[in-house]
Amino acid sequence: MEETNKQVPVTVLTGFLGAGKTTLLNRILTEQHGKKYAVIVNEFGEQGIDNDLVVDADEEVFEMNNGCICCTVRGDLIRILSGLMKRADKLDAIIVETTGLADPAPVAQTFFVDQDVADRTKLDAIVTVADAVHLSTQLTDHHEAEEQIAFADVVLLNKIDLVDESGLEVVKERIKKINPFAKVINTTKCGVSLNEILNLDAFSLKRVLDVEPDFLTSDHDHEHDDDVTSLSFVSDTPLDMEKFQDWFSKLLQTKGQDILRTKGILDFTGESDRYVFQGVHMLMDASPMGKWPEGKERSSRLVFIGRNLESMNLKEGFENCKSA
Amino acid sequence: MKADTSQFPELNKTKFEQRGTEFKLGIPITNAVTVGNSIAVGFGDGTVRIFTSGESSEPIKAHKGIVLCMSKDGDNILTGGDDGRFLNISLDGKISEIGNFGTRWVDHVTANNGSLVCSSGNIVYLWSPNHKEPKLFEHNSTIGGIAFDTKGRRLAVSRYGGVTLWKKDYSNKWNSSELNWKGSHNKVIFSPDGKYLVTSMQENQLHFWRLKDKIDSAMSGYGAKIKSFAFVDDSKYLATSGAKEAVCWPFDGDGPVGREPICLPYVGNKLVTFVEPFPNENAILTGLSDGSVFLSEIEKASNTIIIRSFTEFEVSAIAVTKDCSHLLIGDMGGNILWTSIWDEEKK
Repeated sequence: MEETNKQVPVTVLTGFLGAGKTTLLNRILTEQHGKKYAVIVNEFGEQGIDNDLVVDADEEVFEMNNGCICCTVRGDLIRILSGLMKRADKLDAIIVETTGLADPAPVAQTFFVDQDVADRTKLDAIVTVADAVHLSTQLTDHHEAEEQIAFADVVLLNKIDLVDESGLEVVKERIKKINPFAKVINTTKCGVSLNEILNLDAFSLKRVLDVEPDFLTSDHDHEHDDDVTSLSFVSDTPLDMEKFQDWFSKLLQTKGQDILRTKGILDFTGESDRYVFQGVHMLMDASPMGKWPEGKERSSRLVFIGRNLESMNLKEGFENCKSA
Repeated sequence: MKADTSQFPELNKTKFEQRGTEFKLGIPITNAVTVGNSIAVGFGDGTVRIFTSGESSEPIKAHKGIVLCMSKDGDNILTGGDDGRFLNISLDGKISEIGNFGTRWVDHVTANNGSLVCSSGNIVYLWSPNHKEPKLFEHNSTIGGIAFDTKGRRLAVSRYGGVTLWKKDYSNKWNSSELNWKGSHNKVIFSPDGKYLVTSMQENQLHFWRLKDKIDSAMSGYGAKIKSFAFVDDSKYLATSGAKEAVCWPFDGDGPVGREPICLPYVGNKLVTFVEPFPNENAILTGLSDGSVFLSEIEKASNTIIIRSFTEFEVSAIAVTKDCSHLLIGDMGGNILWTSIWDEEKK
């Protein structure tokens, strides 16, 4: 527990061009919050963010030679986070701005892959700023916009004053279809309380326990193959650990590029603990998370966000893991 | 049966700790560099302190945030910081600014014969003696490390995908050649004899090139990233951190290919985080992740003595004065040991 307290939370700020990231950054830097933040920026705008702790960096996506075919990390982040950890005064949070066309996966993967980064910092949440007016078009035209929504823990749906109510509903529906877990906050000019976007601990395994599969009824008939969607599965029958590990590791190895995020709580036959995991592409963080609560039904829940999910026979694969 | 040493705390201390001075400053130590018979130390609050036998060491406010890197130019100290400044600091504490890159960090600094070099982002800046404006060397990614060879005619720049080797021809023009190896390369050094170039990588391994024929190979098998490595006894061994033993690769003869490294074990089974050659000897000072420091003879592991007991914080700096009279140890918890190496009375 003590170890966790020493880790500085890192919030990743994504969003398509013109969505309002700089407005939000300026707010974080100018607001009187009494906290010490470092902000790593990539598109140093002309708005002139004036703060001691602004670090200018170029997004550098590096391939790792670790046998994981889709494993890329952000080299600039490794360098800067390692440097910031040498500071005499401790930071309350670090905020990483990504460019409009960035895929959030390498940022998230950096926290799984680099030991120094993982020891001293933790990925807190991915916050995506979206433009309520243009998001629908951007989602159709750009993979990156879909990925930014798919990876988000929080979506700041900005500029809502520029769309009518029905337009807003359409956009929200679109977001929910890609990522039913993201908390959507409606804003104009990114007017949001900072404690709704910072220090959320969204990547901790504890938070996976909050996952509620309330979207099972959504139909996926009319989507294009390469649209990002989500699927979830529930089972009251305990799972066979060996069968599950076999299926799931093969699945990630072969389809890891299309599977963007996964989360799960698992009930294994003969195990008194709940098993919890969450992953980004092929990388995984997993651990037993204590006993099942007394008097509550044990069940396994599994969630996928990704492309071409329909082609992966996920339902069948999951069913086959049930203990005979 | 075990004696209760808690009543006699000095018994837990090594003779170097008893003899020397310990400073508990609470500010992470980022670098230490030997400047003659003084040692300059850089800190995580932007200050620099200079340790000289018989003198007190006052903090010099150099950078706003962190002293990211240090080197020396003759009797002067060079530093780079997260405030984007490249500084020259004299032993009496006078600071002059060589370059300023604003919000971009100065990640690496080095010098040779009055040529001052730093890197910020993907550009290396070189100030030749008596030149006001630097020469710029651009690269395809942020620079992981820079190093001059002993003569100062070659400058190695590590980067994503390998090393760019800049060579000065006799009309003082710099030409580059590329040494490529997949992956991200960090710190880079030349062997003192100029025959080899070694880099540490983002993966837990090192890579080396034999420069005469460009033969290259990886040195792997480490449990952690290799943050510290150095050539020992001219170029006979390359001592490395990143394992629970100090791993020393043979670089004499035809180099390390097909040969086994010598692995020096230490009590406590902790990770080696820092290695520093002991000047003019086939020996190294090894710092561990628990703060302990040992002195070992490479070819005679039984000749290992403990210099500092543990502090719980990883060793991040070790330096020995040029006359080999004093040494300094620093860690990430802000503890420093500054001690004479030899017993003054016996000397």
